[in-house]
Amino acid sequence: MKLLVIEDEAGLRESMEEYFNEEGSICETAFDFSSAMGKVNLYRYDCIVLDITLPDGSGLDILKHLKHEQHTDGILIISAKNSLDDRLNGLDLGADDYLTKPFHLSELRARVAAIVRRKSFDGNNHLRFKEIDIELSAKEVQINDVAIKLTPKEYALLLYFLANKGKVVSKNAIAEHLWGDSVDMADNFDFIYSHIKNLRKKMLEAGGNDYIQAAYGMGYKFTTA
Amino acid sequence: MKLLTRYNRSTIAITTAIMLVAAVAYYFAITAVLSRQVDKALEVEEHEVRDYALLNGTLPHVFSTNHQAILFTSVNTPQQRKFVDTVYRDLKDEELESARALYTWVKVQGKQYRVVVVQSKVETEDLIKVIFLITLGLIVALLAALFFLNRIILSNIWKPFYKILEQLKAFNLAENSSVKTVPSGIDEFRELDSAVNLMADRVKDDYQALKAFTENASHELMTPISVINSKLDTFVQTGEFTDTQSRLLNDMYASVTRLTRLNKSMLLLAKIENRLIADKQDLNLKILVEEALNQFEEPIIAREITIESHLDDKPMKASLLLMEVLISNLISNALRHNKPGGFISTELNHLKLQVSNSSNADKLNTENLFRRFQKSASSEGSGLGLTISKQICDMYGFNLAYMHLNGVHHFIITFAPTA
Repeated sequence: MKLLVIEDEAGLRESMEEYFNEEGSICETAFDFSSAMGKVNLYRYDCIVLDITLPDGSGLDILKHLKHEQHTDGILIISAKNSLDDRLNGLDLGADDYLTKPFHLSELRARVAAIVRRKSFDGNNHLRFKEIDIELSAKEVQINDVAIKLTPKEYALLLYFLANKGKVVSKNAIAEHLWGDSVDMADNFDFIYSHIKNLRKKMLEAGGNDYIQAAYGMGYKFTTA
Repeated sequence: MKLLTRYNRSTIAITTAIMLVAAVAYYFAITAVLSRQVDKALEVEEHEVRDYALLNGTLPHVFSTNHQAILFTSVNTPQQRKFVDTVYRDLKDEELESARALYTWVKVQGKQYRVVVVQSKVETEDLIKVIFLITLGLIVALLAALFFLNRIILSNIWKPFYKILEQLKAFNLAENSSVKTVPSGIDEFRELDSAVNLMADRVKDDYQALKAFTENASHELMTPISVINSKLDTFVQTGEFTDTQSRLLNDMYASVTRLTRLNKSMLLLAKIENRLIADKQDLNLKILVEEALNQFEEPIIAREITIESHLDDKPMKASLLLMEVLISNLISNALRHNKPGGFISTELNHLKLQVSNSSNADKLNTENLFRRFQKSASSEGSGLGLTISKQICDMYGFNLAYMHLNGVHHFIITFAPTA
């Protein structure tokens, strides 16, 4: 996967770069409008993570430029301006998704993965990881060619883990991914535990390996080993 | 009361009062003047009698007319000369009429005579009557003219004022139309118009500034929170942690999450209060309620809470985001303040949405219920949930009410008739 992160805030840019830079992925960065324009004119990316507010221009102009040149890079807008106008503007101009700051890096990773999948498989798409095979359009999961039945939340959890393979995903990030803003109760974490227990059980019963590990009280990790 | 009516009423009342006083004064003045006139006529008669007596040495031959009579009486003592009001018997009709008499005397060949000249005042009174009627007619005509002229002139003069008023009523911040100038030849209205225009422009500028501020504040607060969050996410990848370390990290995550939610809630509240969320789309509240109940599936099951729903379709045009927030706030409150094994009942029809829940808590303090940062000690929320709900309801003209009946808490939204 080849990515470009356009973000002016150094702290956030470094975190994203570090999180994305893993085996097989290349993550480049740009910190302002002109350097970003230079990069998008020279190279093509699977996905561009685009901050709207840049010191010397608007990310929306970069988006317009890409669409005008008919480049097919996936585009994920990240913005702290949670204004509806911006969101609708961005999506109307052809962005693939919109994420409001602050976000968890694992959430960003999952959204980027979804965009790349949509771009590269044109809807009829399978996601394969070792013995796990996911038919994305039908939301069906097979392990060693045996279908297993997952609840919507278990399915979302599995996709989330697959997008963040090898990373520790915090319980907070999982709770926000599954329930959004609406449930802000401490016992969320108990529900996460029971969902993960069920998911793990169903995968093991179908003859799969146990990839989900608890990570020192922080959260969980989907191991690739 | 309208200005015109008020003004007309005062002017007519005052004019009538003045006219009444004037009429009384007028009546007495005319009467006095005419009395003097009659007295003069009597004196003329007296002179004539004296002149005649002096010239001819006899009393004049007199005959009574319809209006005047002269009587001579022989007396021994000198008489006083005086005017008196008296009555006069009409020769024709034999009716008594008010009259004026002059008592005087005359000397004829050494003999004293008392002379009484009486003149009827019928003609004078007739004259006064006619004058009074004419004056009355004039007054009524004048008042009527005043009334109608006032109406026409005032309503014409005030036309620009009502136009300005209409514009002010139609003024809407969220719309981009500006207040139009109303031309007028009257200085006061021109000033009012320019003041209104100035104010409208200033309000619009403030509104734009506020909108920009809200967004900038959001940006400035969210960026550092974002960095903290991403650094924490990166940090937890770095290796093994002891129990103490992971507890500290979890606390940090929880605090950042809380900070984010608080910030989001405050910004949402600011936006709703300033009507910055203007998008509208077709939606069905029934679907939103069902989605919210699904969203809370796990805690509902974990607390063994029974759900009773009576949901009818309720299509409306509103902001999806705000309606989701509203419903999610009410249901999460009903869940959060419930008791294990309790129930939540939702009822939706075209008139109202009611969310009721069982609870161990007593009746809530209705006075502070919808105020900011009012929350019970056990609550983990920001204390903004109900405030936001109330603001959303206000924005759409809904009524949000709280009731406590037989230990059950009810939150009832009554929809506006047009929604």
